[in-house]
Amino acid sequence: MKIKVILSVIVVAVLAAGVYFFRPHTFHGTVIQSPEAAYDFSLTSVNGDVSISDFRGKIVLIYFGYTFCPDICPGTLANVAQALRDMGAQAEDVQLIMVSLDPERDTPEKLAEYMGHFHPSFIGVTGSKEKLDEVAALYGIFYQKAEGSNATGYLIDHTATLMVLDREGYLKLVFPFGVTAEEIADDLKYMIRQ
Amino acid sequence: MNKYLLNGLYTFIGVIAIAAFAFKVFQPIQVLPRMRIAPAYSFIDQNGNTIISEDLRGKFVLYSFTYTNCPAPCFNMGDTMKEVQSRLGEVDLGNIPVAFVTISVDPDRDTPDALNTYGTNLGADFDQWMFVTTPNKALLKTIVGSGFETYYEDKGNGEFALDPGYVLVDGWGIIRSEYRYTTEVSDADRILRHLGVLADEVKNSTGSAKLAYEAAHLFLCYAP
Repeated sequence: MKIKVILSVIVVAVLAAGVYFFRPHTFHGTVIQSPEAAYDFSLTSVNGDVSISDFRGKIVLIYFGYTFCPDICPGTLANVAQALRDMGAQAEDVQLIMVSLDPERDTPEKLAEYMGHFHPSFIGVTGSKEKLDEVAALYGIFYQKAEGSNATGYLIDHTATLMVLDREGYLKLVFPFGVTAEEIADDLKYMIRQ
Repeated sequence: MNKYLLNGLYTFIGVIAIAAFAFKVFQPIQVLPRMRIAPAYSFIDQNGNTIISEDLRGKFVLYSFTYTNCPAPCFNMGDTMKEVQSRLGEVDLGNIPVAFVTISVDPDRDTPDALNTYGTNLGADFDQWMFVTTPNKALLKTIVGSGFETYYEDKGNGEFALDPGYVLVDGWGIIRSEYRYTTEVSDADRILRHLGVLADEVKNSTGSAKLAYEAAHLFLCYAP
């Protein structure tokens, strides 16, 4: 009888451990289940035109920002960079692209220098205002010029979400501003394993 | 002991499988799909004020598309919008606000004054229901045509070819449902029911209950 009780406890413990370790992943970002691939756009980087579809097979992160951004953009980019460093070799399956919302000041060269400060793989792209308006609108990114200081020049108010596309180019996750490096890495690692 | 553990494992697997099957079949929790990101915009409303998409974060927003010079017989999307607006009290929305946005695809003629007259004739409550457009026709086409996936075309004779419908967007700017306009049956009942489903998810999807709601998304437990 005593043995049966012990065995029962062991079985329950093993089952509980199984439930814990094999539980479904809980995403930190909002999961999107779109039946259509995300809008594929082509913009200009320092190395020429870049399309989202160029990175099929990788997890693509799309962020909209600008190099004169005082805090939100560098904070988000730094978190993504930290997440990639934490992921080690798995980071090779991830590509971040920042679309500049400031075509007047963000040249492809300036973008390349800026992005390189965060992570060597990061790509910055820009284009005409008309094209940027279109791309930003379709990714739900509102932006407009705002008054800045003498030091910063004008600022750009913008939606600060971070988009994550899966390997087939479907929008999978939307991270709000403030997502941590740990949360980003956790979700990306899961997506890479899929 | 091996037989004991094996029976326990089989029971565990069976319970999980039956629970998943029951969840999918009986759908104790229903949700609306997160279809895609709603487009961002800056419009001018019937009072000449600028309305941006960010202003509507935190609200459930029902969009419709039309133009005020639509000749008779014209689809009358205003009736459904008005009915939904007047019946919001039937749905337990908690404190989640609802907004209505009618986008005109004819910015040349649908000035703020024209939109104001149009909305007034519909009996719209402008505090909650905005009539908007933008003179940037290329961007309007991107927002309405590509973003909201509502086809329209200027026929050049004062008329527009337009595939009328409604789009429901949640407080995070995600499109959750689309409704094709029909003359036979009003979509108001369905829209109101969906507003209730959305509100339930917002109110209840916290803590451990969030897992259940994410499971509902995973198992495609969509409200009809």
